[in-house]
Amino acid sequence: MSVTETVLVFAGIPLAIVLVISGLAALGGGHAAKRYRPGRPFEFAPVWFLAAPEQLAGAQASGSHASHGELPAGTSRAALPAGSAAEQGGELVAAPTRVGATGGASDRW
Amino acid sequence: MTGGDKPAEGGTAVRPGVLDGPFNTRQLLRLDEALRVADRSTGLTFSVYIGDLDEPARGHAEKLHAQLADPDRSVLIAVSPNQRALEIVTGAVARKRILDRDAKLAALSMVAAFGGGDLAGGVISGLDQLATHAGRSRARD
Repeated sequence: MSVTETVLVFAGIPLAIVLVISGLAALGGGHAAKRYRPGRPFEFAPVWFLAAPEQLAGAQASGSHASHGELPAGTSRAALPAGSAAEQGGELVAAPTRVGATGGASDRW
Repeated sequence: MTGGDKPAEGGTAVRPGVLDGPFNTRQLLRLDEALRVADRSTGLTFSVYIGDLDEPARGHAEKLHAQLADPDRSVLIAVSPNQRALEIVTGAVARKRILDRDAKLAALSMVAAFGGGDLAGGVISGLDQLATHAGRSRARD
């Protein structure tokens, strides 16, 4: 083999392989950031999952395609019911009978 | 599981909106499967909300729970990663089958997974625990 052929085979081919693999890795690396990391801000849209989407009764007023059970993509937090705004105006007697009926647990991490 | 051959039917169908959330397609499919198995085996309605909660977080989670079609027989798992808060809300009927201490136990294991950054794994194992504690559905339904 001539010098040129030697260089092509033993340097050119490995170099080409390295370039192809690193190019593929750079293309696929964009998805790695899409996850929750503790301590970093969580900037994803709110999502609500149900096995049977028709069981969500009240939240469909804001979105036309909320029938799949999760909130539509662009739903802002303001579209969700506020935490206690409805209770501030009414007196305690008029509160719904469901108060105290729910159980469950709370925790933090 | 009998429903495993139709992963996209009905529930959390993979659409661009839900792909804006923190889960990839594989995690969404697992979550969908976990929700359907939990619903079918217990007869209760399980749902998972992941997003910010207004303060007080407990009150907001209960409001979300009240929006479900049958709140008494529903269980809501509300996760707020920014506030690092987890709320499990059980309705009046569901509460008799999932005792508060069982819910607390599930919450502890979920929080352990969340602290490690594993949102999907924590939610799925929590669903599994809650469904196990709730037991089989009764024939009257």
